Amino acid sequence: MQITQIMQMTKSAKIGLLFALLAFTFLPVLAGGQWIKIFISTGCFILAASGVAFMYARLGMVSLGQVALMGIGGWVMLRMNHAFDLPFEINLAVAGAVTLVFGWLLAMPALKMRGLYLALITLMAAGGLEVIFSTYRFPNGGEGFWGVMPSVAAPFRRPLVATDDADYLRYIIFAIVVGFLIIELHMRAAPGRAWAMIRRSEAAAYASGVNVVYYKAWAFGLAGFLAGTSGGLLAGGLGLLDPATFRASESIMLFALMVVGGSRGWLGVVIAGVLYRVVPALFNDWTIDADIALVIFGAALLHAIITAPNGLSGQLIDLFGKVGKRT
Amino acid sequence: MISLDNLTVRFGGVTALDAISAHFTQSISGIIGPNGAGKTTTMNAISGFLDYDGAIAWNDEKIDALNPFKRTRWGLRRSFQKEQIADDLTVLDNLLAITDNLPLSRDEKRAEVEQAIESLAITRLVNRKADSLNAYEKRLTDLGRCIIGKPKIVMLDEPCGGLQQEETDHLGELILKIPTLTQATTLIIDHDVDLISRVCAETLVLDFGKRIAFGETAKVLADPKVKAAYLGVEEVEA
Repeated sequence: MQITQIMQMTKSAKIGLLFALLAFTFLPVLAGGQWIKIFISTGCFILAASGVAFMYARLGMVSLGQVALMGIGGWVMLRMNHAFDLPFEINLAVAGAVTLVFGWLLAMPALKMRGLYLALITLMAAGGLEVIFSTYRFPNGGEGFWGVMPSVAAPFRRPLVATDDADYLRYIIFAIVVGFLIIELHMRAAPGRAWAMIRRSEAAAYASGVNVVYYKAWAFGLAGFLAGTSGGLLAGGLGLLDPATFRASESIMLFALMVVGGSRGWLGVVIAGVLYRVVPALFNDWTIDADIALVIFGAALLHAIITAPNGLSGQLIDLFGKVGKRT
Repeated sequence: MISLDNLTVRFGGVTALDAISAHFTQSISGIIGPNGAGKTTTMNAISGFLDYDGAIAWNDEKIDALNPFKRTRWGLRRSFQKEQIADDLTVLDNLLAITDNLPLSRDEKRAEVEQAIESLAITRLVNRKADSLNAYEKRLTDLGRCIIGKPKIVMLDEPCGGLQQEETDHLGELILKIPTLTQATTLIIDHDVDLISRVCAETLVLDFGKRIAFGETAKVLADPKVKAAYLGVEEVEA
């Protein structure tokens, strides 16, 4: 009997990889001007959203600090870039690792909590980080620990394989696929099973021999790593970061859109990222007030909560399934 | 042998278990009592879920110092009144969720899982998600989790709750196999006196957190105090 099926490719995974391959090949060619920047930013938020999605879907834990954690990753990335002459990937790994540690720190008070209280703690942490980012801003090549100078920013070094925007977008798509694979490997191995037992109940987890504190901290660490990496990639995409990008309200928005998109698969996270970044940009392009997007998001959230427990992605998959059976 | 010595559990001013002592020497034993008697509280104390006074031991090996997940790793297995398997995992993954945390080699874990699947004849279920199982199949999965990994103590909390008679009978047969499959000492809580009579060689009876009888199951069930407290005979006759 085949006990471990870790490397088995599901139909969803095959479609996801095909989708990523098409995006990798054609998106940078088709998207021009500012749209490449928008898709780079979208990709970064897709990667960050994947962190909150797996925590919500597999552990039932609501984290409202993901975008703030992205800010930490972005800060470390910019700081490393301007302070040292290290390769982009080293800086990115450090950004991910530092944010992973912040994820653990965030988890400390939250490990004994669930539901609303956990969400509130992560939200308060996001609020605290918002104040820090607004006060000290992001490094742009200046002197000292904070590295901020008042005038123009110093240049940012991108990966050697992706110095222009088109290649950098491909780099982001590759990073998203790697991020999704890391999550999927976790889901199919011991951590994923432990998280599922914790979601069922902590009593069930204890009865399975699961060290609940350890595995919750692991989940926060992984979500932090994904947030830090995505923040670092965003810094690489834009060259400098604005504190307004990492407000606590943005973390809530990203979580809400993840619920709209659906938390149980790659499609829902992609939908969340597209709603978060592409829809407001489209409205701007059409000279429609981008704030109308908030009204649409609110309606979509109501729709998801009332009629689509697996989000828009669940409804799309059901729809394709029905169409497939009829044809 | 499972030994409970002066096991006492208090919830604020309420004494849920009052100095319960019992030494379960048989391979399968039962705990019965009316609702609120303290049966599940006893299991939760043995599991380490509750703070308690007194001592719990298996074959003179005290487990009081172990926290709940370490008790599972040590060899304690339990099921719950409402099955606690993860709906979004397959049956196989629900079994692996236990072996993941046991100090066994990869080959030993594989062998344990395969043995549990074959013993319960659930090969056809292994790749099914738990949310697609019926109540009986979920109970079988729960039982599979309890016999995996060379357990020392197996505790089943109302294992046949909500099942049809035929399913209860079959599950009873499987429970009877636990001592030969695992060498574990098994404790069962159930309201089904027929099941307890058939499966358990000795039985502890609780009422309002106190021990009112303990010994050979047939004798215990014939005890007038047990009939009065548990079966409500006095009230019926009145």
